[in-house]
Amino acid sequence: MPDPLHILIAEDEVLAAMALEDFLSLKGFRVTVAANGAEALERYGREQVHALVTDLRMPRMDGQTLIREIRDRDAALPVVVMTGYLTEDSDLKHERWKPLEILSKPVNPRIICETLHRMLGLPLEA
Amino acid sequence: MALGLDELLDTSGFVPHGVCLLWRPDILALHVASDMLIGLSYFSIPVALTYFVMRRRDVEFGWMALLFALFIIACGSTHFLMVWTLWSPDYVLEGLVKAVTALASLGTAAALWWLMPRLLALPSPKQLEATNRALEQEITIRRQMEMRYSSFFNNLAEALFIVQVLPDGDFAYEAINPALARATGLDPERLRDRRVRDALAPEAAASVISRYVACRDGGESIDYEETLDLPVGQRVFHTMLVPVKDAAGRVVQILGSGRDVTERKRLQAEVVQTSKLATLGTLAAGMAHEMSQPLNVIRLWTENMLSRLRDNLLEPQRAERSLTLVIEQTDRMAKLIDHVRTFGRRDGGGMQAFTPARCVQSAVELVRHQYALEDIEIIESATSAQLPVTGRPLELEQVILNLFSNARDAIIALRATDREAGRIMVAVSDDRDGQNVAIQVTDDGGGIDPSVLPQIFDPFFTTKEVGKGSGLGLSIGYGIIDGMGGRIDARNVDLEGGRRGVRFTITLPSQPVSSSDRELSHA
Ligand SMILES: Nc1ncnc2c1ncn2[C@@H]1O[C@H](COP(=O)(O)OP(=O)(O)O)[C@@H](O)[C@H]1O
Ligand SMILES: [Mg+2]
Repeated sequence: MPDPLHILIAEDEVLAAMALEDFLSLKGFRVTVAANGAEALERYGREQVHALVTDLRMPRMDGQTLIREIRDRDAALPVVVMTGYLTEDSDLKHERWKPLEILSKPVNPRIICETLHRMLGLPLEA
Repeated sequence: MALGLDELLDTSGFVPHGVCLLWRPDILALHVASDMLIGLSYFSIPVALTYFVMRRRDVEFGWMALLFALFIIACGSTHFLMVWTLWSPDYVLEGLVKAVTALASLGTAAALWWLMPRLLALPSPKQLEATNRALEQEITIRRQMEMRYSSFFNNLAEALFIVQVLPDGDFAYEAINPALARATGLDPERLRDRRVRDALAPEAAASVISRYVACRDGGESIDYEETLDLPVGQRVFHTMLVPVKDAAGRVVQILGSGRDVTERKRLQAEVVQTSKLATLGTLAAGMAHEMSQPLNVIRLWTENMLSRLRDNLLEPQRAERSLTLVIEQTDRMAKLIDHVRTFGRRDGGGMQAFTPARCVQSAVELVRHQYALEDIEIIESATSAQLPVTGRPLELEQVILNLFSNARDAIIALRATDREAGRIMVAVSDDRDGQNVAIQVTDDGGGIDPSVLPQIFDPFFTTKEVGKGSGLGLSIGYGIIDGMGGRIDARNVDLEGGRRGVRFTITLPSQPVSSSDRELSHA
């Protein structure tokens, strides 16, 4: 069995992060949770990350800024955005942020998982 | 005839008076004509006098005129007898008539002298005329005055009424002006002199009578706001009662004036409502975020459980923990929904006693998360205050939320100039003697320009760009705090680390009078 792929979750709501972490772990990912954009960026700087799942509204550094910072370093990192607002994603719908998928809250963890599989080029589960 | 004369002459032995005149026809004619004329005139005068007295029954001392008449008739008779005695020497008869005349004259003269002082005291027609003129002038002036007052009474837009305090202490309407009639739909004619309890619908009557009683027994002016069900519908009046006292100090009349403030009240409520909706609007984004959070957590945990269930990985403990968590999240949502519902409601709930700390707490909870996203921290201190205040908790919450949102705006604006900011300090404290509760909201948003500080509570005063600020927040907050009998003020403060900001202080009385009865007694 190959080393599991590393997913970084940026989410300030602890309970949501916990559930998502558990779910993705069960599906065979290695998961790290950061409570805000700044913390996520710091983890990203220290470890190899294969995909980012992020909230948009977060203290200290919001999702939008985090994505911009990460795109500066890695143009190809798959990003899944979880958001409660449509207005806030407008700019994120732009081509330049790709590969990026937007899912609105409440999110279905199965869809997140499927999206990650697709973006990472993994075979979809049965 | 000559024979008869001779007989009389013979029996008495007198000679007719004509003998003295030597029967000279010219002298006889002179006497006869003169005496006849005098006699006739004298006889006609009493007729005139009697006629006058009969017609002018108001004439004083009319009996005096009758006395005159009697005396003149007597005089007239002597003259006729003087003609008679020219031929017939009935001197005895003439003497008797003269005696009667003398008595009548004497009586009349005596009565005249006796009456003199009183007659002199009688006003002369000239005097009467002058008095009449003065009276006429006075009447004109009074009529003008009355016209002026009645034109005040009838044309003033203010509703006016006069209530009489009857000897039994009950009240009756003396008059109501057209403005009152228009405003209330009551008929002035039907109201006049009717007891208040009979003139109005029982409920309205009971309500106004209790005010009249307060004015009657207190003996002082009072003013208050009242809501009355009238023929024109429900109206709110700002009414003032002024007691009128008699010499003994008893209230005999109550003068009332009322202004229909229904419309103003409605507008006021509307402005409060508008601003509430505006506050609600700025909160809507935060609310959506707040709602999506628990929903998201629920979805994630249930999906998680479902997935584990399918893979046979769901231990009972985990299931129980997950479900408990889900239930907690639904509670969190229910609370939010409740809040939005009550916040948008028109009256904001009734007046009640409550601890302001609770309001502060709930305002903080409502925005804490949203503000944290913008790195604005709300720091609570000493929120253990216990004293209750009276008012509408949601209104106070609205005031505090507006202070928060002002603080946030100031912080964001200050950051745009590359200065550090991001703290809102909230403190609630009881004062030592248990009279007041103080709520302080302090920010480090840089403070308010001292030149505009006096204006910040003015309606529509804003330094924010169009669309960002309505300028209503603080003015409405001021109104709400004032309505609770409290004060709100703002001052600039220096904070540690060289930061500056504003401190708003709300002071609320702990035991205000029950507000439904809040009357400003004009002491
Ligand atoms: N905490 C604060 N710091 C700086 N200025 C303030 C603060 N609170 C109020 N102000 C000033 O008072 C003005 C009036 O406030 P307000 O009545 O709430 O209306 P608005 O917020 O819509 O402008 C604001 O425009 C601002 O200039
Ligand atoms: Mg404001």
